[in-house]
Amino acid sequence: MSAQTILRMDGIAKSFGSVPAIRSAHLEAHGGQAVAVMGANGAGKSTLMNILGGVVISDSGRIAIDGVEINLRSPRDATRHGIAFVHQELTMFPTMTVAENIFIDGMPSERGFIRMPDMIRQSEVLLTRLGCNIPPETPVEQLSIGDRQLVEIARALRHQARIIIFDEPTSSLTGPERERLFSVIRGLKAEGAVIIYITHFLDEIFSVCEQIAVMRNGETVWTSPMSDIDPAKVVHLMLGIAEAEGRIRAPVAAGGDALLSVSGLGRRGALQDVNFEIRRGEIVGLWGLLGSGRTELLRALIGLDPIDGGTIRWRGGASADEIAPADLHRHVGIVTEDRRGEGIHLPLSVAQNIALPNLRSLLNKWRLIGQEREAPLADDMIKRLQIKVSSRQQPVGTLSGGNQQKVVFARWLATNPRLFLLDEPTRGLDVSAKAEIMKLIVELAEQGCSCLIVSSELQELMRVCDRYLVISRGRLIGDLPGSATSAELMHSIATIN
Amino acid sequence: MSLAGTLPSVPRKWPSRQLIVSVLILATMLILLWIHAPNFFRYNNIVNVLLQASLLGMLAIGMAVIMIVGGIDLSLPANMAMSAVLGAFYMKASGDWGTASLIMAGTGLSIGLINGVAVAKLKMIPFVVTLAMMTIVSGTSVWMTNSLSISQLPDGFVDLFGARPFFRIPITVIIVAVLTLAITVLMRSSIAGRWAYAVGINEKAARVARVPIARVVMASYVFGGLMAGLTAILLTARLGSASANMGNDGMVLDIVSACVVGGISIYGGAGRIAGALFGALLITVLSNAMNLIGVSFYLSLVIKGAVIIAFVAVDSRRGGSQ
Repeated sequence: MSAQTILRMDGIAKSFGSVPAIRSAHLEAHGGQAVAVMGANGAGKSTLMNILGGVVISDSGRIAIDGVEINLRSPRDATRHGIAFVHQELTMFPTMTVAENIFIDGMPSERGFIRMPDMIRQSEVLLTRLGCNIPPETPVEQLSIGDRQLVEIARALRHQARIIIFDEPTSSLTGPERERLFSVIRGLKAEGAVIIYITHFLDEIFSVCEQIAVMRNGETVWTSPMSDIDPAKVVHLMLGIAEAEGRIRAPVAAGGDALLSVSGLGRRGALQDVNFEIRRGEIVGLWGLLGSGRTELLRALIGLDPIDGGTIRWRGGASADEIAPADLHRHVGIVTEDRRGEGIHLPLSVAQNIALPNLRSLLNKWRLIGQEREAPLADDMIKRLQIKVSSRQQPVGTLSGGNQQKVVFARWLATNPRLFLLDEPTRGLDVSAKAEIMKLIVELAEQGCSCLIVSSELQELMRVCDRYLVISRGRLIGDLPGSATSAELMHSIATIN
Repeated sequence: MSLAGTLPSVPRKWPSRQLIVSVLILATMLILLWIHAPNFFRYNNIVNVLLQASLLGMLAIGMAVIMIVGGIDLSLPANMAMSAVLGAFYMKASGDWGTASLIMAGTGLSIGLINGVAVAKLKMIPFVVTLAMMTIVSGTSVWMTNSLSISQLPDGFVDLFGARPFFRIPITVIIVAVLTLAITVLMRSSIAGRWAYAVGINEKAARVARVPIARVVMASYVFGGLMAGLTAILLTARLGSASANMGNDGMVLDIVSACVVGGISIYGGAGRIAGALFGALLITVLSNAMNLIGVSFYLSLVIKGAVIIAFVAVDSRRGGSQ
């Protein structure tokens, strides 16, 4: 191919405070080609793209376009150099028209008045180039997500963008919309544009991209043409070598009846026909990449997100009875992904946080929450989980991340749940705090509590899981035993459907 | 990460900055009064100020609970007036002031329930719902009474709720003091109280922690409405009459001022009930003092508005991102 290098990024580094987000990243992109930038959560790909978009300024490194070194200090600089960003969450003004949105950062005007006809005509030209015929006078709120995305691309084209970054463009598109987007991208490539494509969906990069760059822990660990790599290798590069060493507990094959059985669970755009069972005392890993529907599944189970259909059976007593998600919420402990936003109440004290889901059991004869019960509960949990606090009265917002997470566990432990749903339970914790949390999970299982864990870090799941459910695009696509190797697990999510 | 900016990472302390400033303002005002209007300290005037503060305080307690959960109810004074008018009509027609009192309390509660359903179930915006409710309710009261006050109420009613049993201290003051104590304890140590703070601090986290959000929000408006109904009973007894303009427009400002000055955050989840009562006292003293010193009514409105803006500014610095 006679593709010519248009964009070149070399030795890019960026730290936020003392935390390095990118240590050493490089990226090369050719005209008329799409390059996939892959990486697990926290690999640094968002930061790299924000640097290219002028949103974040790099600490060091060089960026060159057509061999000429450029300096990106602001998004405006990026626009000037022909770089455009099509964001994952679309940045539209819903009540304004398509034309107004396309021209939002510079409407054609004459003596202070906007020249509407010009704007509409030019919008039509841009939209036609993208092969769509949305009337430019339509308010954006009346468009589908897919159409809104095209409007956003049209906005990029208006600035004669030559380098267009797509960040997770298909995460909320329907099948046909996705196909249309791909053909738009092919059209842009034919015009000689550089496409930088970020996604969690492996199958897409093989049909859209010519080149690939894989990032891990802030470094570019692989660059090659797409033809030199296969999906399993991509997953492997993204996640690194996961060793099963340091297993806390050997896999246990749980017997007996299912504690929870789910069949046909669905939620439009997120989950499709999900079926699985969890037995008593079993630690099940829900294994999938970000965006696979793993978080959505946990949330749907307990009614934090609505479901469209399916049944959940729960063995509360002797028989397994059908249960509504909102009622299941009353029986399970949940550790959400967003600890500070959903897990705890930051201004409240450690004692009050632990008490919150347990208030009924703390009532005294006056039907009030008695200190004589609340304090021992908190002290008990602080001791059991070794939470480091100055006193139980300390506001939880002033604790370290690890200790905050222990408060989240403490709050649910006190409810004696028979099932724990854990979404990234060790996110943002240091190594020793992670180990403590994982040990706690095993302890819970020993006592007969079942756990369903989501984690981006395979090494962690492999330390504790008795079984894995593999999830991709909102479907369970596999069920692997606890003895599965990291290669098998990586291979399981690298299938292209 | 993005959430870290919108949630207060520094916990709210008590006494809050507002409360400290409020105490200083009150002290300054008392000194100024000592110099310029010593009449303020006459026993009768003090009792009168306490009485007014109690009536305002009762509404402020209702508002405080609603604000702690994260809402606001602008219809409280209008609600109170309508409750008073309906009760007074019944009282006059039947002479049965016991039932009439229940009607007042029940009317207040029902209007609160409508607000609560609109906000909690229909997910409407509290500000708009209660503003509309305010005009509906006050319009209805004026229409029913033709702007005339309903007087010559039964002696039994006026004697009971207008009584001054100890040292000429009105029963209203005693009732409000006891109520404040009770609600303070309930907000701190009852399940409902804990839920109220949890919802006000972070609704999403409260939901995960199994707090029934809709019920808590609805209950806060019902409680606020009940407070309006109870205030209607006490105020009607004090005035010996009921009228549509009992809850005039300026009162909403006084109630919100009392809460904000007393350390109840307009962002929800913070503040104590006793603070709202203290705020009511401060606002009443401020009004009374300006009156005694000879400040015009209109200028006093300007000053009160300025005070609330100053306190909201302090609150937003506390509640917003740093």
